[in-house]
Amino acid sequence: MKTIKDKVAKLSFVALLMTLSAAMLYTPTASAHGEKSQAAFMRMRTIHWFDLNWSKPKVAVNETMEISGKFHVFAGWPETVDKPEVTFLNIGIPGPVFIRAGSWIGDQLVPRSVSLELGETYSFRVLLKARRPGEWHVHTMMNVEGGGPIIGPGKFVTITGTMGSFRNELTTLTGENLDLETWGLSNVYFWHGLWYLIGVAWVVYWIRRPVFVPRALAVNAGKLDGLVTDTDKKVAIIFFVGTIGIVLLGMGQANSKYPVTTPLQAGLMRGMVPLEMPEAFVDVKVEEASYRVPGRAMQMTLTVTNNGDVAVRLGEFNTASVRFLDPEVYQDDSGYPADLLADAGLSVSDNSPLQPGETRTIEVTASDAAWEVYRLSDLIYDPDSRFAGLLFFFDENGGRQMVMVDAPLIPVFI
Amino acid sequence: MSASQSAVRSRAEAVKVSRTFDYLILWTVFMVLIGGYHIHYMLTGGDWDFWTDWKDRRLWVTVAPIVSITFPAAVQACLWARYRLPFGATICVLGLLLGEWINRYLNFWGWTYFPVNFCFPSNLMPGAILLDVILMLSNSFTLTAVLGGMAWGLVFYPGNWPIIAPFHIPIEYNGMMFTLADLQGYHYVRTGTPEYIRMVEKGTLRTFGKDVAPVSAFFSAFVSILIYFLWHFFGNWFSQTRFVQST
Repeated sequence: MKTIKDKVAKLSFVALLMTLSAAMLYTPTASAHGEKSQAAFMRMRTIHWFDLNWSKPKVAVNETMEISGKFHVFAGWPETVDKPEVTFLNIGIPGPVFIRAGSWIGDQLVPRSVSLELGETYSFRVLLKARRPGEWHVHTMMNVEGGGPIIGPGKFVTITGTMGSFRNELTTLTGENLDLETWGLSNVYFWHGLWYLIGVAWVVYWIRRPVFVPRALAVNAGKLDGLVTDTDKKVAIIFFVGTIGIVLLGMGQANSKYPVTTPLQAGLMRGMVPLEMPEAFVDVKVEEASYRVPGRAMQMTLTVTNNGDVAVRLGEFNTASVRFLDPEVYQDDSGYPADLLADAGLSVSDNSPLQPGETRTIEVTASDAAWEVYRLSDLIYDPDSRFAGLLFFFDENGGRQMVMVDAPLIPVFI
Repeated sequence: MSASQSAVRSRAEAVKVSRTFDYLILWTVFMVLIGGYHIHYMLTGGDWDFWTDWKDRRLWVTVAPIVSITFPAAVQACLWARYRLPFGATICVLGLLLGEWINRYLNFWGWTYFPVNFCFPSNLMPGAILLDVILMLSNSFTLTAVLGGMAWGLVFYPGNWPIIAPFHIPIEYNGMMFTLADLQGYHYVRTGTPEYIRMVEKGTLRTFGKDVAPVSAFFSAFVSILIYFLWHFFGNWFSQTRFVQST
């Protein structure tokens, strides 16, 4: 029995050492924001990001870069996610490696929460000022109250230089020129240091004498005289008066030094102006849609009608920020993140120009490893098995038609 | 040496052992408070204490004292009732602030690079000293709850104002007015903390105009009294010595 116990103890010790070693030696870099683990329907049926542009792949500390583009608020917003009545245009970065120097929806600065309308498309841009050197994954992101973060595509941006040279210089309405990185810091340290010393002084005053055993014995014996002396009471009164005095003095000084202060600014911003999108003249009806699990491919049967006066071809299917392109119709040169771009992932049974007035039923296949890599295939495990996405039709004049599709999805397992 | 013999052989040795015991217990209590009180305060006060753009004149003033008077009340109940030691609240706050500063400096600044002037903790020391002195001078938990709890809530905002006032200076930025604290919250991106989570300046105290901080402080002070009572009972309960009857 003892031998078995010894062996178990020895093996446990070895296992503990191995675990600790593994934990210390294997520290891979986290380089994403968990976007793949977000439920597929959340990414497919809420916010659709498109026409994105990261202005620079590399910036120096104190330089700025911009992410701009558009997002479409899906009209068939899922019931399980709260409507985007309170949202916040955020940016997905690993902490303040950039500062957000500005963010706009349309022309409106949006430092606060905003209300969005279903079915509308908005333009946005986020201006970032580089702060901390490194290579960072920079995502678009929309936080929705009751829904959580809806993360968009991410792209690596490199910041060069040193963080010590970063400055965040501003001028207040009362005329102070300051660097927000360090503003008020010495004041914070002073007051916290002062009060901490006062607290330490009060405790040290009491623990100079025997603390626990003799006092506990005296209290248990009912001999309370001498545990708190008259001197103690005088010292306590000094601390009491001193505390109130310092608080009043500090407040008075602060009020005279900063006579103009305002409350924190908060509140929901309504009335975001959507983009005026040209009315789509291409009409799409989803006859059926299926996802082939073994082939990592989604197949749609679409009946497309061209109500315009120019021929169009289907060039792109965009869902959950993954873009499936038909390279014969459209090729992307925007520098879109490669892992989200299936540049030859879209095949169409008959993608000859759809003439004005013509109606055609086509088989569309969107296939790429991205279905698995981005865990979009997990859609088949969702309680409401539907898909949604944007179809882009292109005409020979360079015009583009955006059509939203939303339909049930049938998984095919064999 | 049998079990009935003393472990010490002289008074001097007894005093030495007693002092060693004092320091061991104080160190242990302090460490436990750093951990326990810190976790409690982070879970209940959380963002209000983390960020300058949460330190408003309504909810921060209301919430922070209410959720922070807990451990001081409990530790006072133990240290005063058992040892007549009037530093229960102060030692709690010393532990909390030390833990907070370690966390803010090493984690918030050192790890995630939020500027320290954006994530410094609230100052609870003035209230703690008043609470301890009131207990000592009154020798009454009831009076301490009423007067001390009231003082704890009332002194919180003025005790912090010299620290946060510089962050309430207004600034115009891209055509909108912010305080510097708002701008810190906007500039220093918190991916997991969207603006709508920020619970500031909400409520129905509009009729008080700009003077809502005193009203919030009085409400906070009133609730702090109640919480003091509750947690002083917890402290009393936890510091009971109970023996199991031998069969």
